Amino acid sequence: MMTKRTWTMLIGMMVAFGLLVTACAPQAAPAPPAEQPAPEEKAPAEEPAAAPEAAEEDAYMTIYGERLPEDAATYDMQIYKVPCDIKGNHITFDFQVAVYQRFCLSDLFQDQLVNLDKDFNVIPASAESWEVSEDGLTWTFHIKPGLQWSDGTPLTAYDWEATYQMIANPEHAWDFAWFYSGVLKNWDEIIAGELPPSELGVKAVDDLTLQITTETPWPPLPAMMQFSFVMQKKALEEHGPLYNSNVETSVSAGPFILDVLEPGKRIELVANPMYKGYRQPRLQRLIAEYRDMSTAFVAFQNYEIDQVGYEWLSPADFEIILSDPVLKENYLRHYGDFRTDYLLFDTYNPPFNDINVRKAFAHAVDREAIVKNVYGEIKAMPAYSMLMPGYPASDTEGKLKEYQKYDCDLAKEYLAKAGYPNGEGFPKLEMWLRNEGPAMQAVFQAVAASISECLNIQIEVSNKDFKVYMDALNAKPTQLQFGAVSYGMDFLDPANLLGIWLSTGRHSWKNDEFDRIVREASSLVGDPEKRKAMFQEAERILVDDVGGVFIAHRWQGDLFQPFIQGDCIREPDSQGIAAWHWGNDWCWGNIYISKDVYNYDTYRGK
Amino acid sequence: MTRYILGRLISLIFVLWVVSIITFTLMHSVPGGPFDEGKQRLPPAAKENLLRKYGLDQPIWKQYLKYMWNALHFDFGVPYQVPTTTVTALIAKTWIITAQVGAMTIALAYGFGLLAGLLAAYYQNSWIDNVVTFTAMLGITVPNFVVALWLILIFSVRLKVLPSGGWSEPDHWLIPGVFSKDWIMPVVAYALAPFSLVARYTRSSVVDTIRSDYVRTARAKGLKERTILIRHVLKNALIPMVTALGPEIPNLLTGSIFIEATFRIPGLGKYFVTSTFNRDYPMIMALVLLIATLWGITYLLTDIVYTWIDPRVRLGGSEGSV
Repeated sequence: MMTKRTWTMLIGMMVAFGLLVTACAPQAAPAPPAEQPAPEEKAPAEEPAAAPEAAEEDAYMTIYGERLPEDAATYDMQIYKVPCDIKGNHITFDFQVAVYQRFCLSDLFQDQLVNLDKDFNVIPASAESWEVSEDGLTWTFHIKPGLQWSDGTPLTAYDWEATYQMIANPEHAWDFAWFYSGVLKNWDEIIAGELPPSELGVKAVDDLTLQITTETPWPPLPAMMQFSFVMQKKALEEHGPLYNSNVETSVSAGPFILDVLEPGKRIELVANPMYKGYRQPRLQRLIAEYRDMSTAFVAFQNYEIDQVGYEWLSPADFEIILSDPVLKENYLRHYGDFRTDYLLFDTYNPPFNDINVRKAFAHAVDREAIVKNVYGEIKAMPAYSMLMPGYPASDTEGKLKEYQKYDCDLAKEYLAKAGYPNGEGFPKLEMWLRNEGPAMQAVFQAVAASISECLNIQIEVSNKDFKVYMDALNAKPTQLQFGAVSYGMDFLDPANLLGIWLSTGRHSWKNDEFDRIVREASSLVGDPEKRKAMFQEAERILVDDVGGVFIAHRWQGDLFQPFIQGDCIREPDSQGIAAWHWGNDWCWGNIYISKDVYNYDTYRGK
Repeated sequence: MTRYILGRLISLIFVLWVVSIITFTLMHSVPGGPFDEGKQRLPPAAKENLLRKYGLDQPIWKQYLKYMWNALHFDFGVPYQVPTTTVTALIAKTWIITAQVGAMTIALAYGFGLLAGLLAAYYQNSWIDNVVTFTAMLGITVPNFVVALWLILIFSVRLKVLPSGGWSEPDHWLIPGVFSKDWIMPVVAYALAPFSLVARYTRSSVVDTIRSDYVRTARAKGLKERTILIRHVLKNALIPMVTALGPEIPNLLTGSIFIEATFRIPGLGKYFVTSTFNRDYPMIMALVLLIATLWGITYLLTDIVYTWIDPRVRLGGSEGSV
């Protein structure tokens, strides 16, 4: 105790000293970034006697001059540490450089045009407003004035223009190029090298006005702008797209800036003192520590990290979590990216070209038992369709359940109708998995067992290398007869999760009526209710024609330390779910470390 | 001898060339590429752009020739996983850490293994023998990542005496510049298996030797037990051990993904796995060639060590060779 008190006094004295001398250091340790501006409103303490009070007050002040919430720990404790997969393949902090090769704590060096609130409504971020032209083709985004980069350069629409021209440039070879295909004007021609990037339908009209033109009317465009991460035009020209992969050349218009980058070891970001955006952070430092993720839960229990995602928690870890009241209360379950696990078929060839076979499979999966006994109810809910309840146009009332519900007798009937009474003569199948971990392997083993027991057929489960699987799936004609896979959304609109079932998408299933409705609804402007009804009809067709057999919607979640607080994660949404929802990037301006942290022996201050 | 060594080095170059062809062909025949199509198929034009970016649009023989030409100039390309550096720089930076762990592991495993095996053999069927045999059996059967997790649970989580992982800078070491706490658990976890191997080999070959005629003769001559053990028993027992344990050294020097990942050591080990998963062709090639070179050199050194241990062994000629 003595030592702790001595330290507190020492820190207090250091703060007071700092105030007196420089009048610009709000915290004692660690040292603030060199370029941190002196808050003008804070005059140097004139009388030494007043210094300790000022120091006390200042200990709760962020570098933006905002006071931390009442229950917050001092600013020097506002550090947040996450685990980072040591086996990850990371090269950049920027979505627009390589989506699948991003470092941990990526995309914090800029704010997108829009963000999502707790109920997944699109809310302003860098753009304060937007409107669409009457023909539904041109969207005008008005950027908030006064935003700037950490080097003092103003953030303008020209930065977005340059960023979008970069990602469309064939030389950049962006790994997410399909995302804007058929959406942004001239995108496909530019990717193919037929038009120069300057012809892209993303144009800066002036510093604060960005105009985006689409090929066809595209109502989900604002929702897609959740991915409108911006890069600095000047830095791109001077240092190329990887400018953020180097502390010296990194520049940020987001809440944090890069401080330490040692890939494979650690990454540290500090609050960006030049940041003027909508999510000024209460946290002063973020740390990502590389580790084998099988040790993440142990590290969490040892208070070495502050958060673990559900994907790194094993069934054994969940048992511990559910039996510990504190852990249980701090495991915050959420929709995640509305991920659905399902079975897919090559419906162009036997035996799955027969709808009766597909229906037999759909009715042979005992989802409720599998969710209860294999996933665990904390990790999934049974699925009878593609869209997880809560996603736009999803089947919240369970009307679609009848099309694929578990009914073994019915399943047998369908199989007999297809010419395989009691499974006789049915070919032996191999169910491909896409490099699944042990937990999901167990799930799909159970699915295969449910089908083979009910239908008396043979299914062998084979876990494939990720790229081998995707190559076979994507091949036209497909080389994947029967497999299991999952898909999480890319943007919050049925056009996304139903669009992947179009005959031009990744599945080998074709239904002309489905194609027509989805295409029409995707670009329908002005009548949201009709659009929703059309998507619901399309999804009905999908489950009725058994494009896939839907197994479960994943409940995702994060385990937080009890002292990680903030309305963003602790206050429930309109469905009563309190958690860090997908797309809630504003959370970075909201979460903080509460005083409760003093009750634990954490890495802070060591 | 020099001629022999030169001959072996030339044949090593030939081996490397064959290895390079096999690796290059194999890695390019596995589906997928250094890009991700996990969500949706890339538009054909976008995929072509990606292939062009990585130089994969050329015929395979052209890619191979280009790679080899550059490799001969010690340019092994840019790793797809870390495009801000070169393969050479990345390996140099990470291998130094891995090699350090490896060297400490070798010292610990071979030093203690030898001692334990020797004691177990000398006091055959005593409690010492039982303890060594049991530990060795445990070390061989329990995988090192399990041992690693046990160590973390006991010494970091429960007792809180050792860090659960990490690789700190020399000025943060327990004895700055000399010794770091970070080393203890990874080296112990990593050394347990080779320690067991060495202990078992030493025990069995010492047990064989200790009963041989020349040892009996030495005893009859009235030599001291210690002299008999070190000069006669151990030296003769070393020959089979060199054969069996020499090749372990390149394995240890190139690291273990399990140990490095579990203890957060920023070494080379992870790249053996991630390069394959991510189809990082330049890195795969460089790592395979590195391993092949290490193995070639180790076998050569093993052969040279034979001549030192056993004067009857002669290299490069028929006379007296074994």
